[in-house]
Amino acid sequence: MTIFLQSLISGILVGGVYALIGIGLTLVFGVMRIINFAHGDIMMVGMYLTYMLFSMVGIDPFLSVLITFPLMYLLGVFLQKVLINRVLDALPQNQILLTIGLGLIMSNTMMLAFTSDYKILSTTYSSSSFSVGGSSISQPLTISFLITAAITGGLYWFLVKTNTGQAIRATAQDREAAQLMGINVKRMSGIAFGLGAGLAGTAGALIAPTYYIFPQVGSVFTLKAFVITVLGGMGSVVGAAIGGIIVGVSESMGAVYISSGWKDVVVYVIFLLVLLFKPAGLLGKSRM
Amino acid sequence: MASATTSRFSRSALIKLAVGLVLVGGLFAVPRYVSSPYALHIMILIFLSTIMGESWNILGGYTGQYSVGHAAYFGVGAYTTVMLMQFRQVPPWIGVWAGIAAVLVVALIIGSICFRLRGPYFVLASIAVAEIMRLSATNLDKFTKGAEGILATEIPVFIIGEHVVTDFLTKVPFYYIGLSLALLTIAVTWAVQHSKLGYYFQAIREDQDAAHSLGINIPLYKNIGLAISATLTALAGSFYAIYVGFVDPSTVLSLDLSVQIVLVCIIGGIGTIYGPVVGALALVPLSEALRSNAIAEGLFKSGIVDPASATGTFLKENLAHAHVLIYGILVVLVILFMPEGLLGFLRKLGARLKQGRA
Repeated sequence: MTIFLQSLISGILVGGVYALIGIGLTLVFGVMRIINFAHGDIMMVGMYLTYMLFSMVGIDPFLSVLITFPLMYLLGVFLQKVLINRVLDALPQNQILLTIGLGLIMSNTMMLAFTSDYKILSTTYSSSSFSVGGSSISQPLTISFLITAAITGGLYWFLVKTNTGQAIRATAQDREAAQLMGINVKRMSGIAFGLGAGLAGTAGALIAPTYYIFPQVGSVFTLKAFVITVLGGMGSVVGAAIGGIIVGVSESMGAVYISSGWKDVVVYVIFLLVLLFKPAGLLGKSRM
Repeated sequence: MASATTSRFSRSALIKLAVGLVLVGGLFAVPRYVSSPYALHIMILIFLSTIMGESWNILGGYTGQYSVGHAAYFGVGAYTTVMLMQFRQVPPWIGVWAGIAAVLVVALIIGSICFRLRGPYFVLASIAVAEIMRLSATNLDKFTKGAEGILATEIPVFIIGEHVVTDFLTKVPFYYIGLSLALLTIAVTWAVQHSKLGYYFQAIREDQDAAHSLGINIPLYKNIGLAISATLTALAGSFYAIYVGFVDPSTVLSLDLSVQIVLVCIIGGIGTIYGPVVGALALVPLSEALRSNAIAEGLFKSGIVDPASATGTFLKENLAHAHVLIYGILVVLVILFMPEGLLGFLRKLGARLKQGRA
């Protein structure tokens, strides 16, 4: 029972960061109908940024979110304006390939700059934990979960309450109708991609103290982000948050009850089952 | 008048045929005159890329199903052939048939799952299935030796009757096998494009619902496209495994490989017979030049960059790692500026030059 509880809790805590990655991807998909295969690589850039801020300036990884988020937001807006904007009306396949190419460029540039060695960002609290009711809980994971929850809450408020947020949601619902209502659709696309990149970068910063940092780490998380968004329903922010937690829990359960080598297989099998039997996801509308 | 056009048509076809025959004949003669193993190695890699690109083209280019999981077929073909050779002493020219059989089973399973999905969902499902294959090969280490991989130590001598055909000790037999397989895949693509099957495939690509309403059995033809594509990819995998003599999950079953297969076709020109050939001709020498540091050395020799300077040492140490970077930059450029690939771009350029002359 303790083992069960412990893996459940650590699954939920990791799932919080996954949720952040998924929300970023789903936002971009919702507004632009583009599946961003460079999402994990953007997150990887965020990880390296955090690593540099920590090892060169000594900024705490959790505090560095305040720098990482705006920088990654700008990177996202830049990528959207210069590259993604040009393929908005292209074939979906070409959009996917463009983002795959972008991802390759990012990961290989990082490899040139930092070599492909694994980097470890070890803070004083990286491996510290506290215990609640007999199960020990990782301290950095708890902090990152709390930050994630705060950001998700803030984002939800932004999307529901503010004018810009409502304009973003309108664009996601119907691009043409939104344009007819006088919404600057291009600007919303820029903001959405910026937010997506910012969230991915933040997730990278939050996961950096507990994960290896290397140039190819992105593709693992790109795939996870897809699983999460498909689980929750493409374009649904709440769905992505729930999807993130589900993926986190099934990974940690899979690692404990099957074996750590097979935990990703568990996730992919769930993914395929959802695609086949409930392709709209848990909270999404069917777009098949 | 009619006879004049037919004779002109047949004349241009004859010229094309003659040029093709001369080219193929020349390619078969290469090992007689070129003895450098490195040059042969590059040629073999070009053949391999051509086979991979052409076989993906049948499913992705003609049928419009963008699989980003072709490493699954490549890897299963490679693994079956090598495992049979190492563990059961089955010669590769027999093992490859087992590889194809295994791949067809895998393709049937993957097809029955993934072909229910469309567009981006199909892409994602194809990736997930290939990743499951990779993780399985890594984790079933009693069966596949896991992440350690399998080293093919000894290829048996190929004998027909009493006559020793080849002992596989040089690169020459691999050159001929690669060339023949590349020609085979080009021939299969040509046959597909000029048959009813090809029209069905293209109808599915252009508008699946319209094709369905015309009575085309969509799942059947998608699976036929996949079967042809997977069989040829398995051949490429087996050939690669025997040539390199080593398989492990992170090379023959990786997502990077799947992406690379797609890129050869996209960069060359999707849905055309010679696009993947152009893609392979452009990508292989470029990435090999980077990998072997030929570009850095060229820069030093020509005096553009001083090898002792900071830029020089940086280039010497890092440019070799950048060969995948080239794939990334090329695919972004191709998607943005040449959506029909290098082949389409060259054709347009040729047409414009002709117009300028006339």
